[in-house]
Amino acid sequence: MSNDEVGAGVTLSETEADERLLDRLAGFSSEQTGLAVAGFAGFLAVWYVAALFQPTYLLPSPVEVLAAFVVELTAPASLSIPFTGVELPATRLLVKLVQSLYHYVPGLLIGTSLGVFAGVAMGWNTRVDSVFTPVTRLLRPIPPLAWIGFAVIWLGVNHQGATFIVAIGSFWINFYSAYGGVEGVSEDLKEVAATLGVGDDWTMIRKVVIPAASPSIMTGIRTSIGQCWMIVVAAELIVGVGVGYEILNTAQNLAMDVSVAYMLVISIVFLVSDGLFRRVERRVLEWRA
Amino acid sequence: MSDDANADAGAAANTAETATATDTDEAATVSVDSLGKTYASDRRTVEALSGVEFAVADGEFVCIVGPSGCGKTTLFRIIAGLEAATTGAVTLDGSPVTGPGTDRGMVFQEYGLFPWRTVSENVAFGLEEQGVEEPARSERVTEMLELVGLDGFADAYPKELSGGMKQRVGIARALAVDPELLLMDEPFGAVDAQTRDMLHGELLDIWAETDKTVLFVTHDVEEAVTLADRVVVMAANPGRVREIVSVDIDRPRERTEGEFAEYVERIRGLIGE
Repeated sequence: MSNDEVGAGVTLSETEADERLLDRLAGFSSEQTGLAVAGFAGFLAVWYVAALFQPTYLLPSPVEVLAAFVVELTAPASLSIPFTGVELPATRLLVKLVQSLYHYVPGLLIGTSLGVFAGVAMGWNTRVDSVFTPVTRLLRPIPPLAWIGFAVIWLGVNHQGATFIVAIGSFWINFYSAYGGVEGVSEDLKEVAATLGVGDDWTMIRKVVIPAASPSIMTGIRTSIGQCWMIVVAAELIVGVGVGYEILNTAQNLAMDVSVAYMLVISIVFLVSDGLFRRVERRVLEWRA
Repeated sequence: MSDDANADAGAAANTAETATATDTDEAATVSVDSLGKTYASDRRTVEALSGVEFAVADGEFVCIVGPSGCGKTTLFRIIAGLEAATTGAVTLDGSPVTGPGTDRGMVFQEYGLFPWRTVSENVAFGLEEQGVEEPARSERVTEMLELVGLDGFADAYPKELSGGMKQRVGIARALAVDPELLLMDEPFGAVDAQTRDMLHGELLDIWAETDKTVLFVTHDVEEAVTLADRVVVMAANPGRVREIVSVDIDRPRERTEGEFAEYVERIRGLIGE
């Protein structure tokens, strides 16, 4: 074999990776970063100037919002751990955030697992697909929040109700991404696996279908991580706990600076969770071209 | 069994002299018997293969060539067990082919590598399914990578490899489970001419080293004459065996030799007619 040819493949990809990294660093450090900072500063300036001529209850200024944020972040409050009766010292903001996490995390986990499971099952088996397609078509257009009435009647005005709504939201996102991913798995790869001794469905799903569909499944999970923060806020408006409820509750008392501070909390947790998952995604899908 | 008798009964097209086929009788690894394949839809039926008849001896290198639409890929898929024949049968060492199996190692034109697995993990795939435990599995993988000249690339992902290297992985993966027969469907169709020449040499070396029987589908007549002991020339509408040509040139074969050109001309003539 020729060394030239062997060298070519690897050198190329290493160079490409280096170039991509350089692009990113270069792009971020100079022009793009500058523009991004300018854009954000402009946004704050317009907001600040506009707020000068309005009372706080109509439009709080960025400074007032930041002050409210700091107050909420530091004001002591006690955090009660469900089912244990234990009370922990915390701050107001932390208490609201943990309340939201109580239904965000379980809702996301339940909805994602069920969604991926159903998507893989229907994408893999045409008979399962035929049986459930009409039902999914019928239920899909219903917004998660429309189920709030049932959530309250079945589970009560509490964490479980909001968990239920979040689970519905992440279920659909993950269902469709897993379904599409599995449907898109190339016949060639399945045939290769069959000729290499894969004889049963379960092995085929585990060793070929799910890895091949993983980019699509990961995209679904990432989308639902973001979407569920929005769903959680909406669900909390009704069930009366967490960051979402606080946004509405403070606004009803015309404490708009506090309300916006809690909106900011949603943005921050979204950015953090999305950023963390992107890192996971990059590692898991390292093989991707 | 008599190939000639079957051939005569099998297809009118197969009237060409098949004397060369008879010397495969003793140790036929693959036997294709009056194979037919018909695709039926609501409106019409298409006869993809009709009365295809030939045998491949143990350790032999046979190429299948023919114009597009002659059913060579269908034939390949039936031998691989990925499709069922409508009539006739394929037998491997006497037992009929009913589905895919590790007795036939497959190499595909588009490589069919698992992109999420590294080179060594790709090669190990079939061994995992066979329940080969460590350290035997890794030893076998290393052995295969050395055979195809890819030691040192064990931990690379397919995206990092050139086409020629990907196909070497494909060959190593197919050979890892120690199949009776290596089935190759236009394996070098997607690589550039220079790499293809190099891979031809490597494949012949691997073939000599492993004593495998090789069945190689291609549309490239020169490739067939370069590689094969015998060339099964197919014709289209319906797909059938036109003639089986025995290539009696010593290896390595040079394309510039007059004899080589004669074989190419002869086979091209058969396809063109």
